[in-house]
Amino acid sequence: MRLPRFSLPQFSPTFYGLGLVLVVLAIIAPALPILSLRFLTNLLIYTALAYSINLITGLTGYVSFGHVVFMGAGGYALGYGASAFNLPPLAGVALGGAAGLVLALGIGIVTLRFRGVYFAISSLVTALAALQIVLVTPVLNDGRGIGLDVEKVGYPARSWFYTIWLIVSAAVVVTYFATHGRIGYGIRAIKSDEDAARALGIDATRLKLYVFMLSGLFAGASGAVFVWSTFGVYPTVVFDLTFSLFMLAMIIVGGMGTNVGPFLGAVIVYVSYWYALTVPSLLGLAFAAIGVIVILVALLIPEGIVGTMRRHFPGLRRILE
Amino acid sequence: MVDAGSVVLQDLVYGILEGCVFAVVAHGLNLIWGVTKVVNVAHGEFIMLGAYGAYFLSAWFGFNPLLSAPIDALIGLGAGVLFYFGFLHRELRGKETVTLQTEMVTLVATFGLALFIVNLATSIFSVNPVGIPWNPGVVRAGPVSLPVGSLEVAAISVAVIAATHVFLTRTYLGSAIRAYSQDIAAAQLVGINPTFVAAVATALGLSAAMLGGALLTVWLPTGINPLMGQTFAPICFVIVVLGGPGKMWGSLVGGLVLGVIINVVPAFAEPSVGASLALAIAFLVLIPVLLFAPEGIVR
Repeated sequence: MRLPRFSLPQFSPTFYGLGLVLVVLAIIAPALPILSLRFLTNLLIYTALAYSINLITGLTGYVSFGHVVFMGAGGYALGYGASAFNLPPLAGVALGGAAGLVLALGIGIVTLRFRGVYFAISSLVTALAALQIVLVTPVLNDGRGIGLDVEKVGYPARSWFYTIWLIVSAAVVVTYFATHGRIGYGIRAIKSDEDAARALGIDATRLKLYVFMLSGLFAGASGAVFVWSTFGVYPTVVFDLTFSLFMLAMIIVGGMGTNVGPFLGAVIVYVSYWYALTVPSLLGLAFAAIGVIVILVALLIPEGIVGTMRRHFPGLRRILE
Repeated sequence: MVDAGSVVLQDLVYGILEGCVFAVVAHGLNLIWGVTKVVNVAHGEFIMLGAYGAYFLSAWFGFNPLLSAPIDALIGLGAGVLFYFGFLHRELRGKETVTLQTEMVTLVATFGLALFIVNLATSIFSVNPVGIPWNPGVVRAGPVSLPVGSLEVAAISVAVIAATHVFLTRTYLGSAIRAYSQDIAAAQLVGINPTFVAAVATALGLSAAMLGGALLTVWLPTGINPLMGQTFAPICFVIVVLGGPGKMWGSLVGGLVLGVIINVVPAFAEPSVGASLALAIAFLVLIPVLLFAPEGIVR
């Protein structure tokens, strides 16, 4: 009897590299002091958000200005679950991811029909309208927000870290599969020319919607972790468009649609932001500087760091993506 | 005792008056979008700069917003030329159609510009809102009261939109701009310089945006702040889509629709939810319009 031959799937060096970084982070995490762990947790929340927006904006080219709406939905799911049903935080994170996914399904069915700037604008106004609706929804405390019970939550820095670590890892894996194989070719075809992709038999509508739902899932789950680690959900915080802008800035700097770009961009943007927080006089100007960086990258190297390196160093193309 | 009917009537009048100002503010976006096919995400920030321009002219020289508006418009012309050559020229040069790639690059670059201007403005002006003390009185017409300032501002707004319409349809340069917006290659064939025409249209667009920002201050007695662009930019997006990009009267129709929604909806809702509900409806109007009338509701 012949046994079927098993072989390890061939992943790319970038994927192994990212995996190595994540594994190292997971190993050293327990030894870190609380503040550093807190810093890493925040960094990973932004990384997860960057991977989330990368799925839709980076891979398919649909600029989602209002991506924060999924984060807000996830955050509210955790807050509402905790206050109304006494859900444990981990279940809240799962609920947050589900909320992001369902919302992305609902929004995506309608808005993914619009292309280019029309999608960008409709995503922006959806997020703004969502904020206004949450502000007057009695079930969600009329926009006064929902505080978590600090005594019950405690300060589980390691649980926060490992939860968001898991989300980032899942996002990395999903991004890998969305950039490789048949699905990857399909998505890339949509980005290059959606009509041509349709003519070749790619079910663009369905593919876009799936990618958008996954994107909502990760944004919702990271929003829930954000709320969990800041002890409450407040509409003007979780629906703050600054998050959208941060996510976009990260993937623009790192490289849209790449595997390692969102991670790189998140580290660059978040670390400079963190540094600016420690220097009070810099804060406003640091955001302005991020704006300048985004302008320069968009106009001069629209492929971001990763894309530009791939273009100029052909040797890197096989290992860096 | 005020009866419900006259409250709604009053709100309707306010909505129409404010809608005219919304229209001129969105008109700038409409010009740039219609002609160059590029959406300026930083549009709201130019409105904010226009409002601050009016504020400082009032604080330093005692100018009222009507007097500041033309000065703002001139600054806007200069800003528009800089904006065109800084942001759009690299992408539009030598292209005959605007690709999705161009759309994405300009969206992202102007988004960076918005981030830059907002945060620079926040650190220079601080987030505390300011206002212009200018109140030329109120005229009463039956049950409705009409603030003179908003009447004048509405009249100027409509005049500006009418003037652009005349400019685009009756002058050589205006025809050239329209030709460019319809077919870049054909416009070049008849000897139109595409860079010049696109730069003029962009400059006029930002000029209208900053002029509109100055006029808008009449409606913001204590509400000029660096973050105001983030409210008005989406309103402008909805107005332009509602009217149809590139249709000059479209901005007026869209502006009036949004002005009426934002002012009249609160009359039918609980006072605590009215304003939020009105904004939410005003934003979400965009979706059915895109679904059922993607070219805008104006023919």
